[in-house]
Amino acid sequence: MKPFSYVRPADAKAAIAAAGTEGASFLAGGTTLIDLMRLEVMTPSAVVDLGRLAMTAIERAGDGVRIGAMARNSDVAMHPLVVERYPLLSQALLAGASQQVRNMATVGGNLVQRTRCPYFRDLAVPCNKRAPGSGCSALDGYTRSHAILGTSPSCIATHPSDMCVALAALDAVVHTRHGSRERAIPIGEFHTLPGEHPEVENVLGQGELITHVELPASPFAAHARYVKVRDRAAFAFALAAAAVGLDIADGRIRGARVALGGVATKPWRSAEAEQALVGQPPARATFERAAAAAIVDPKPRRDNAFKVALAQRTIVRALELAWGSP
Amino acid sequence: MSSMTTPIAVGMVAPSFALHGDARRALSSSEARGRPWVLAFVRRWSPGADTEAIRAELRGLGAILFIVSDAGVWSFRPDDDLELSIAPSRQLRREIAALGARCGVGTRDDGVLVVDDAGIVRFAHAPSSELTSSLADALDAAGRELLGLPTRPGITRRDWAVMSLVAGFGLVLFHGCGGRGTEPAAPTTVVAKPGTEIEVVLRINGQDRRLKIDPRTSLLDALREHLALTGTRKGCDHGQCGACTVLRDGHAVNACLTLAVAAEGAEITTIEGLARGDRLHPLQAAFIEHDAFQCGYCTSGQIMSAVALLREGRSKTDDEVRQQMSGNICRCGAYPNIIAAIQAARKEV
Repeated sequence: MKPFSYVRPADAKAAIAAAGTEGASFLAGGTTLIDLMRLEVMTPSAVVDLGRLAMTAIERAGDGVRIGAMARNSDVAMHPLVVERYPLLSQALLAGASQQVRNMATVGGNLVQRTRCPYFRDLAVPCNKRAPGSGCSALDGYTRSHAILGTSPSCIATHPSDMCVALAALDAVVHTRHGSRERAIPIGEFHTLPGEHPEVENVLGQGELITHVELPASPFAAHARYVKVRDRAAFAFALAAAAVGLDIADGRIRGARVALGGVATKPWRSAEAEQALVGQPPARATFERAAAAAIVDPKPRRDNAFKVALAQRTIVRALELAWGSP
Repeated sequence: MSSMTTPIAVGMVAPSFALHGDARRALSSSEARGRPWVLAFVRRWSPGADTEAIRAELRGLGAILFIVSDAGVWSFRPDDDLELSIAPSRQLRREIAALGARCGVGTRDDGVLVVDDAGIVRFAHAPSSELTSSLADALDAAGRELLGLPTRPGITRRDWAVMSLVAGFGLVLFHGCGGRGTEPAAPTTVVAKPGTEIEVVLRINGQDRRLKIDPRTSLLDALREHLALTGTRKGCDHGQCGACTVLRDGHAVNACLTLAVAAEGAEITTIEGLARGDRLHPLQAAFIEHDAFQCGYCTSGQIMSAVALLREGRSKTDDEVRQQMSGNICRCGAYPNIIAAIQAARKEV
């Protein structure tokens, strides 16, 4: 691990000031940062520890819920407000990582979680995300875990988060502070596609602090499901995951949410699938049409072509379970 | 503290109380309504890093917590947010002094009362001031004492809830409070320059350990290389194997992914902190009884995860236990016996 200066600010203002210099990084739960610092994939000059900041509250905000950026994944997943109003988020969080990691990882940290692409983590090979302009080793490499949606010739790394897929389906809003400026970023605009700059993963500026995430009132609590398909039943990243919500009235789907994980370079909301569901009766045929519509212009590679069909079947399964069929 | 009434003792019907201060709405024990409750006098407490830990604790136990401190009176409900119920005032101080006297707690002392769902006092700790320094230890010891009664027949759900309350709060509530060695972290910015060592105080197994370390030092390396606590194992050093699992404020975490300097102010429990003298923790005994290991390298991590699992109490079926234990890898494949040991230890306590 490269040497760094350690800063433990007492409040948000001091944290933002300390992280304003190029090369500084916030430390939240540490489950990504410390891991990647030990590999020397990340080499921050300063580590700004947010552990003393009181940003852990999970509380009502009108008909929605407001979650502090330093709230632990396990606490969010088990919180009665989340379990009751946003079961999708609770399920997605519990599908991620291990109990130890969930006890450490935070909501803010999860939003800026880095990819698990093995080439990103391997200093011996080129990677545009780690060393911009050096090339992408995945393109001609082993691509079983890689993305089929949102890729570019520079990068095909999968976004690893489960939580963010649920947040995408739930129209979460990320609140940040930077100096005296505060802004509210819709989750769909928070993460960026790799394009020619895969080293940029979100719209945050240097030293911009995520303070909390707000979830608007959701009509999907009664019919929501997160389904994650992976190589083993626990502590593994998704090959494909679907977060879905249905709002059903009078035998018809009044509103729908479909978001995908494990197959795209960012948490992937599918407006096409949602359109295919709205107005239709909840039924297997409807779900299959939505699943087919969800995968638009995929770019499968040698080892991950199976993800097209897998993602579609995952969507169908999630919709069936959300609807309540066995 | 002298008082006109008999001090509260274990087995008595709990005192009902109502605190008004200058608030419009009184805070009263009737709010517990058939739930267990805890009345804690923690003079120097204020909401901080441990708030979420306390909330998590309550959530698992369905209890209500009243905290009386110099900064006011708070109530914690398991399903709700922390609420400052009554702001400090002269009137409130008088009421608190009177309530303290009824509970046998002096005006400057810390103390705690645990009341079960039938309204009976199940645990009372009201130290004289010279004993205040050991409040957390006393709570912790009392919790373990209760937990270590595996042979007592007919232990009820109610007993279990009370034990969990006592043990749980021993771990989280009194950390950094009440005149113990560790001061709560000063609310100032701490800075260490690259390549320089920083002085930290870690609270390990109930003891403050002062050490000078490079800020890069993981909690795992601090334990093993600086404090000679080698029971915590290094496996992958990347948070994937669970061999380094320790408890942080009662919850399982990977010590390899924790910077030691960032663990300052937290209550860390390692495998060395489980046994009491020669008496093994029920889970340690169960792992031996059920032959829950072969080479033993992963065992301390497995046991620490299991301690947190039983304390949190959510995972009950074998499948739920497997899921919660999935962050602990055993290359010998002792999983069936590990599950059996955990389920057996659950029955014992």
